[in-house]
Amino acid sequence: MDDTARRSETSTQAAVQVQDVSMVFDGTPAVDAASFDLAHGRFLTILGPSGSGKTTLLRMIAGFQTPTAGEIFIKGTPVSTTPPHKRSIGMVFQKLALFPHMTAAENVAYPLKMRRFAPADIPGRVKRYLELVQLGPYADRRIHQLSGGQQQRVAIARALVFEPDLLLLDEPLAALDRKLREEMQLEFRRIQQELGVTTINVTHDQREALVVSDEVIVMDDGRIQQMASPTTTYGEPANRFVANFIGVTNFLPGEVIGAESGRARVRVAGHELEGRVAEPLAAGTQVDCALRAEHARILGEAEAVSFSADAVITESIFEGDRTVYSVVAQALGGAQIRVFDTLHAGAGNKGIGDAVRIGWDSRHLMVFPR
Amino acid sequence: MQGSNAGRADASPLTRARWRLTDAADTMLSALFPGRARRLTPYIFLIPAFLIVGVIVAGLFYIGDSSLRVLDRSTFLQSEDYSLENYVNIYERAGYRSVLFRTFSGTAIVTITVLLLSFPYAYLMVRTQSSFLRKFLLFNLFLPFFLGQVVRAYGWLIILGQEGLVNGILGQLGLANISVLYTNTAVLIGLIQYMLPFGVLMLAPALTAIDSDIEAASEGLGAKWYQTLWHVVLPLAKPGFVAATVVVFTITLTEFAIPAILGGGTNDYVANAIYDAFFRVSDMGAGSALGVVLIVIGTTLVSVLFALMGTGTVGFLKEDK
Ligand SMILES: Nc1ncnc2c1ncn2[C@@H]1O[C@H](COP(=O)(O)OP(=O)(O)OP(=O)(O)O)[C@@H](O)[C@H]1O
Ligand SMILES: [Mg+2]
Repeated sequence: MDDTARRSETSTQAAVQVQDVSMVFDGTPAVDAASFDLAHGRFLTILGPSGSGKTTLLRMIAGFQTPTAGEIFIKGTPVSTTPPHKRSIGMVFQKLALFPHMTAAENVAYPLKMRRFAPADIPGRVKRYLELVQLGPYADRRIHQLSGGQQQRVAIARALVFEPDLLLLDEPLAALDRKLREEMQLEFRRIQQELGVTTINVTHDQREALVVSDEVIVMDDGRIQQMASPTTTYGEPANRFVANFIGVTNFLPGEVIGAESGRARVRVAGHELEGRVAEPLAAGTQVDCALRAEHARILGEAEAVSFSADAVITESIFEGDRTVYSVVAQALGGAQIRVFDTLHAGAGNKGIGDAVRIGWDSRHLMVFPR
Repeated sequence: MQGSNAGRADASPLTRARWRLTDAADTMLSALFPGRARRLTPYIFLIPAFLIVGVIVAGLFYIGDSSLRVLDRSTFLQSEDYSLENYVNIYERAGYRSVLFRTFSGTAIVTITVLLLSFPYAYLMVRTQSSFLRKFLLFNLFLPFFLGQVVRAYGWLIILGQEGLVNGILGQLGLANISVLYTNTAVLIGLIQYMLPFGVLMLAPALTAIDSDIEAASEGLGAKWYQTLWHVVLPLAKPGFVAATVVVFTITLTEFAIPAILGGGTNDYVANAIYDAFFRVSDMGAGSALGVVLIVIGTTLVSVLFALMGTGTVGFLKEDK
């Protein structure tokens, strides 16, 4: 396939293309040269800490803010000069932004009236979408007469009822309690799959990102750190930031002493450890070895793994389905390591102050330049 | 995070002094009003307001009383017995009728104009991204308050007079002079300028209360700016409009200085007529009757407005059906 053919194919497939988009506020970039393509019908979650530029990126896609550089394409058409009311985008805001002076049904009917749908079709369509979000009986309630979760669903119905090309969700679940939030996450996913609408969701809840998405973008400081599937994002983080932001990760500082295809040998406090690398690293590079807490283990009597060291338990937190230990390994330069113990295998009934042996399989160790 | 915890543990001496004061006040209150009586506390704070309102009500009673007594022109004393003559007089005398008509029609014009002018001002002031522009607009709003009414009215004399600024400019342009001074138009211009800040100040909080994301949402759902204005902003700003209407209407209705100065004595409003009755011809009965008419019509109009629009944030929230 030649180059032009490939380009035209991607542009017909991509529902959204973001090309080198930047947003600078008073000299500080809130979004810094962000680029990604999102294929039709996919569910993308943008994950990042507070202030990383997630909302800004979303508002530029919706058209509420104009990028200071770069271009956004929706269905292959550049939209930088298209005002929001002429884009076909449904957005659910962080604070929902429902119209408090209207009923649930009036809220849902609003985009249909503004977009000049045939008046005869409007009531039926409103009813259908209220039923889609299971709010049929609540159509005539005012917004303040609905619970938080119900308001959430009105906002979704309102954003979807005019069948937009794209659905944008700006942390609409952040204010809900955990149980309701988890219910709503699955509800989002169900509706998205039922309608097949391309969706971009913003959150700083890593669990939500992994559970609901086809693809995850991790952002920090205005820059996209990684875009990948949830399993790749978790299993093969692109850099130290992603490894640290998602999951509970231990870092052991060291120096590269040698490398071969995809692996590196690293000296950490006099020990030689081996781990995976994403990019080749020259000897002498200062690195952090990353180890997920669930990959660190408290070893039983006769267990053998590729690396083990003596340590002392300094903290033990029982969380029901697992116990989280903090141990200090003098052999690793006094590094503090968190260990998830789900089976209570090695630890048995060990407690704070007890000596244990910890270890891991070296295929779980990841090496990132510092 | 630990820093802020530590900061809370050893609060500044000032903060601790404040805590001790509130603790002391608390102990005192619970000693004074033990148990259930404490529920009365909010009502106790209402007493001063009730006293003031009580004085006003008592005053109204006296005004009502004297409006029913006729002046004896030989003794300049009020009659012993009651009659409706003062009210009949207001109804029958063309002078009073035209003063009442001028006052109410002028007030209506001023109220509507002020609402129209203050909405864009308040909207810009609330929504602008530029903090400089916001401060500038706010400053301009308060500037006239420091001048006082009389100085401002004289400012208009300078601008609108025969040899004033407006005619100067018209002359330069080779246009005919206008003479608005000492007409009802001059009074209206002065009143509108005087009331504009009140309108803006009443509207601004209602507009601030509308989350700008609600407007963004409307736009994203397909509304053009004027549709957003009509379907979302104006309905949500209703409490502000009701408040602005009441304040501008009632203050304008009883306005004295501006009609006196800019109207030149020939464009009196009710307040000027009341002043004349009391202090020029010493006819307390006529003045009081005018006052009662003003209060009754004004209160009725405001009540009708509340009944139609609901009181919103200036009163109790309307019950939902
Ligand atoms: N209108 C604005 N003017 C100036 N700076 C802004 C503006 N909007 C956002 N910023 C800045 O841009 C950066 C990114 O903000 P943004 O709201 O996109 O973050 P976010 O990732 O959505 O954060 P959160 O998770 O807290 O919602 C922040 O540093 C913020 O202060
Ligand atoms: Mg945000």
